[in-house]
Amino acid sequence: MRPVLSAAKLFARTIAIVLLVLFGATVLVRFAPGYLSDAREMDTRYAGAARAELSAEAVRSHSLAHLLDTEVRGWARGDAGLSRQYGVPVSSLLAPRLAVTGGLLLRSLPLAWALALSASLFSSSIRNRSAAMLWQTPAALLLAVPTAAMATICLLAGSGGPVLVMALLLAARDFKFLHHALRKAWLDPHLLHARAQGLRAHRLVAAHIVPSLAPQLAALASLSMVTALSALVPVEVIFNVPGLGELAWNAALNRDLPVLLAVTMIMALGVTLAGMLSGQQAAQQELWRSA
Amino acid sequence: MRLKLVAASLLAAIILASLVIVVIPGASYSRQDREAPLAGASLHHPAGTDALGRDRLVRVAAALLLSLAGACLASALTTAIAAGMGTLAAFAPRPVGALCMLGCDVFLALPWMFLLMMVRSALPLSASPASSAAITFLVLAALGWPACARAVHRGALNLRCADWMLHARASGLRGIQLARCVIPNLLPLLLPQLLVCIPAFVIAEANLGALGLGIGEPLPSWGGMLLELDNSAMLLETRWVYFPVALLVLVLLLLEAITVEA
Repeated sequence: MRPVLSAAKLFARTIAIVLLVLFGATVLVRFAPGYLSDAREMDTRYAGAARAELSAEAVRSHSLAHLLDTEVRGWARGDAGLSRQYGVPVSSLLAPRLAVTGGLLLRSLPLAWALALSASLFSSSIRNRSAAMLWQTPAALLLAVPTAAMATICLLAGSGGPVLVMALLLAARDFKFLHHALRKAWLDPHLLHARAQGLRAHRLVAAHIVPSLAPQLAALASLSMVTALSALVPVEVIFNVPGLGELAWNAALNRDLPVLLAVTMIMALGVTLAGMLSGQQAAQQELWRSA
Repeated sequence: MRLKLVAASLLAAIILASLVIVVIPGASYSRQDREAPLAGASLHHPAGTDALGRDRLVRVAAALLLSLAGACLASALTTAIAAGMGTLAAFAPRPVGALCMLGCDVFLALPWMFLLMMVRSALPLSASPASSAAITFLVLAALGWPACARAVHRGALNLRCADWMLHARASGLRGIQLARCVIPNLLPLLLPQLLVCIPAFVIAEANLGALGLGIGEPLPSWGGMLLELDNSAMLLETRWVYFPVALLVLVLLLLEAITVEA
């Protein structure tokens, strides 16, 4: 009964967090100083139409309750409302972009993990301190380059696309944590003893290190997801990838509230679910250990 | 320890050199040399000029000082908020503590860059350059505290259960008196948080600037200089366009070295 209760509590907390995030985003965007402004107002050809649209928007969004009600109705209809910028249902904007962003994440996350794991397994087994530090230099260098700069340089060099930039960024971050965790793990007395007995490293990794580090790995996986979602915006904007990050950037600049709320909800769900899954994994591991 | 010392000395030397470059009489980050737009390195302009003929070395030096000063102030502010929130969550009655931590979770439910972009774009983008710089760093400070507050909360919870704390409470110490004992004990936790935030804020400012949401022109900023890389004509003209990126990477590496050792 207790695990069910705790799972229900966790689920309720997740839903509460997502709802609070949506409420906060609505308040933030609606009451932003430039919500009822449009770049077209500067152009005499379009100023009249833009002002008429803004007046209609001012009436539509005069109260927060009315605005939230409109949003909820849009979600209930299944189209997530109408985009203020494009004038089409938000769901029609989201569906293709979700596929693009999903594809980008699905390609970059495994590549990043493969890179980080292999590099950290190798670096943690190096005994020489200077050699180990030298092996860590590329990761430190990658972490010191802002995502936007890395993306721009890759774009200029004509080598490596968004997948490579995301993978390198994530791999560098994951490597930093994995290297420390593995280095600590290799110094455990039972592993030192096993190595002294001549057991092969790959067997020790599979039988001892991975199971003992599983909670940390799960937490790191969720952190990778958050980092990847964070890096999406600059990477997609610079590479002109028509994904969720680019859509969110456009929506934020144009105060397109329905689109921004939909993307915010997807992002918040992604982050909280990743956190919840890693938490569950850690709890299961603890349970297994105590048993 | 040696690495930290070398990194700190090098960073201090770079900051000092930047200060000297900025205060040289006649040096101005906004003054245009209209005869020499996109010029290469020369005696007049040691790192060349940008598309508007402004001296790149002076602009890079000013951007470095502005970015580091802003990031340090924002980091101090965010650490202070985190210290207050984390301590409050640990020592306040349970419902208040739970509410504080829920607030942290709400902020942490969105990816950092996405949240920054959303908040920054909601604030005036046509503000004066100085206001845009203040807004950018204030946004960083206002959104950077939740992760740090969680760590402080955990540390403060440990302190709450410490024997000396029980003794202090049993002796009748309350509120501010307890806080005066707690904060110094949290310093070993707060100092690394403060140092970790500085490079994170410098990077965030550069990323925001590259998205057009950072510090406004003519104030120099890393983000604004990254935007120069988008201009392929400029890249063909001079390789000095890469100089700001190279210096930014060096500064971040030095900050990272100081942080790791801290």
